[in-house]
Amino acid sequence: MVPNKFNKKILKRNLTAYAFCLPWFIGFICFTLFPIIFMFAVSLTNRKLNGKSSFVGFSNYAAMFQSPTFWNSLKITIFFTVIMMAVTTVWAVIMAMLLNHKQKLNGIFQFFYFIPSVVPTISLAYAFRTIFGKDAGLLNYVISMISGKNTSINWMYDPHTVYLVIFFITLFTYNTGQMMLVFRSSLNDVPRELYEACDMDGAGALRKFTMVTIPMISPIILFNSVTGCISALNGSFALLYPLTGENGDPNGMTQVLSLLIYKEAFSNMKVGYASALSVILFLIACLFGIIIFAFSKKTVYYEN
Amino acid sequence: MRTLKGKKRSAEILIFILKILVAFIMFCPIIWVFSGSFKDLAEFTTSPGIIPKKPTLENFSYIFNNSNYFIYIKNTVLLMVLTTFGTLISSSLVAYPLARMNFWGKNVIFAIIVGTMMIPNIALIIPQYIMFGKMGWLDSLLPMIVPAFFAYPYNVFLFRQFFRSIPKELDEAATIDGCNKAGVFFNVLVPISKPVFVTIGMLSCVFWWNELTQPVFYINSDKWRTLTIALMTTFMYTSGNAFVINWPSIMAASTLMIIPPMVLYLFGSKFLVGGIKTSGLK
Repeated sequence: MVPNKFNKKILKRNLTAYAFCLPWFIGFICFTLFPIIFMFAVSLTNRKLNGKSSFVGFSNYAAMFQSPTFWNSLKITIFFTVIMMAVTTVWAVIMAMLLNHKQKLNGIFQFFYFIPSVVPTISLAYAFRTIFGKDAGLLNYVISMISGKNTSINWMYDPHTVYLVIFFITLFTYNTGQMMLVFRSSLNDVPRELYEACDMDGAGALRKFTMVTIPMISPIILFNSVTGCISALNGSFALLYPLTGENGDPNGMTQVLSLLIYKEAFSNMKVGYASALSVILFLIACLFGIIIFAFSKKTVYYEN
Repeated sequence: MRTLKGKKRSAEILIFILKILVAFIMFCPIIWVFSGSFKDLAEFTTSPGIIPKKPTLENFSYIFNNSNYFIYIKNTVLLMVLTTFGTLISSSLVAYPLARMNFWGKNVIFAIIVGTMMIPNIALIIPQYIMFGKMGWLDSLLPMIVPAFFAYPYNVFLFRQFFRSIPKELDEAATIDGCNKAGVFFNVLVPISKPVFVTIGMLSCVFWWNELTQPVFYINSDKWRTLTIALMTTFMYTSGNAFVINWPSIMAASTLMIIPPMVLYLFGSKFLVGGIKTSGLK
């Protein structure tokens, strides 16, 4: 009866493992899988915030695809995500390279570079709302001092400057600090010999950077960029809601999908429609997820 | 030779100046908040100098006297402690078999966990809102606390990475001594893994201290407000002068919110920085 005993042992081991996984399993079913299915179901109804609902088929989607607000929001979401990813990645690499240059006081510099990442986003949002404010804003004050002319630009609400300001503010989010630390350790892992070989060839600093550093850390750059996309989709609400409000001022120029979802569900009380918007946001996230997964199979090494 | 040395020296100085410049940019908003919290409303709206002309503590007393500030602190700390406690227990339990055992379906479960890490929370918040509404959990901390006890994928992932780095021989030795799997986990793995518990605990505390999105959706009444929502709603308007934003008191409330994460970094940068460094890799 050896095989039977053997099977029993395997069964027992499997059951033990499942017992450990039980919290995740319950959590996954209740807080992820069920909401996903439920979201699709609600998106086919005209559910209101007060709970009244009836089945309307795909009319939420039809309304959505005819709504200029939706198309604007979709465009802004992708624009915001991609640009935020690009500027935060570049800034994180710059800070990491500065910090990796061995000099005194690097510990203190890291404190200053990293600390904005762990303070509340909403505090930063309010700081910048006043720094870039029209009256008594710090930036206008400094410009007036330098130019000698009275400057009163409404940086946050001027269509010409709003993106400049918003993307500047993304440099202070958690994502940037996280990337900086990851880049610091991966830059340290670039083999010294490669730089020495460059020195022999008489290559300058810029050439070293483009020929050695960039290729060597490229997997990390790509991996960070794509995870940055996900956190841009998720974190944009906490950043933009206190900055520009649910309408994404000026003229919806900053109204990403998460803000529109909030507005439709709570101000317009159209929960069914907000669910349809959520489905789109979910699909965008899945698309990024698939890209990560395809990419990580190739370059990021998972054992087993 | 001399000029080469001189060139290198000036390059060093240039890099150092660049470092100071970047540090200034990164710290600028925080200094602005600190300085604004000691100005009065009139000064804040007319002169944006960094050093307050007549520093006042009025803004701090304003927020303590005109809001239930201690209730907001209590709510935030309660949320932070319970979610962190929940996720540390549940996520480490789930990570253990994924890192140390072979069982049927392990790769599928791990793939699902990595997959769900990619779903932004905000995409599922509307169905969750309806669901929690049906359960009567809205306008309380429960929609945020309860899920924490059922393992966050991201934290499971971090725990798994760490558990894998511990030599398997330790488990085997404990098994020979007569420990079962649960015994191995509690008597061997947990004691060695204290640093990773501290790291994930810190990351979780920082996250919940700063979290705005979920409280905005789930919380309505004043008695369950967290500090982040209070910052958005309670301090917005001066009582006497309707619809004027009382910026200095917002700055004061912000100052009080910024200090704890800064202190945490000063004391725990080793854990925080080390944990984040490994989070993006592997």
